Amino acid sequence: MEYLSRKQKMKKISRGFKMVEIEIDEDACVGCGSCVDDCPNNVYQMNEETWKTTVVNADDCMACLSCHEICPSQAMTHRDIHVAKRLYIDRKVNDVLEKII
Amino acid sequence: MDMEMEEIRGTFKPEIIPRETGGKIGDYEAALHVLMKFVGSMSSALEQVSGRGANAIVYQAGKRMGHDAAKMLEKTDDLEKALNEMGEVLGVEFYFEMWKPKGQEGYTIESGDKTEVKLLFMDCVVRQTLRRTGLPQKGPLCYLLYGYMVGAVEEVMSIKGKLDIDHVGPNACLKTLTIKWGGK
Repeated sequence: MEYLSRKQKMKKISRGFKMVEIEIDEDACVGCGSCVDDCPNNVYQMNEETWKTTVVNADDCMACLSCHEICPSQAMTHRDIHVAKRLYIDRKVNDVLEKII
Repeated sequence: MDMEMEEIRGTFKPEIIPRETGGKIGDYEAALHVLMKFVGSMSSALEQVSGRGANAIVYQAGKRMGHDAAKMLEKTDDLEKALNEMGEVLGVEFYFEMWKPKGQEGYTIESGDKTEVKLLFMDCVVRQTLRRTGLPQKGPLCYLLYGYMVGAVEEVMSIKGKLDIDHVGPNACLKTLTIKWGGK
């Protein structure tokens, strides 16, 4: 994971957004179409032959990852995106969960 | 659960200005989590008591913060310059980029006396707080950032602005900033 300094980040504001690479695991996709309905930028479409999700408009993906949240089978991977700092993870809770698992 | 606590002992005199903050990184993390829980429960209680009025209260608080934070910034009519300056105001905790769909030529859309620009908020303490406390996005707390942004725009550009939430996600949120030319 790459961490940018504040200055580098500020420079990026005017440089524009980088295209996102999305991969769908067809074996995992159950064809529920939730990602198709959820995406505001019409990045996904259902393949009518295989009835699986396909990426048709990766250029417009803004990596909000709401498709990840809604996908029941976690069938997608987004590569080379800005991963938001996860400040909400409580390490103490994670330690307990790891022990249970 | 066992809790380890390290006591800091020393001499305190009012004229001694500490050169650095005390504690370890874990202490700051714990403090952050407590603050997140406080803010989250305050937001949901505010909503419970005031209903939709909670949004207006939080918006006003954010707007005041935005005005105060942007007071020292250089005034400009250039939207891109203003956004860069606002990036400095909002800091890395509210890291955003301008965003446009593939088919759109520039970042800004002009219509009459209004200019619109889409902003993608990638790092956001508000979102992290909501996720920490299990609250939905687009609630009153999101209005803090709305007010903050509008306050900063009004201060830097001396014009009216508004920020609409287009889409929210766990990793980024898309918002539309609309500025209305023609003064306050």
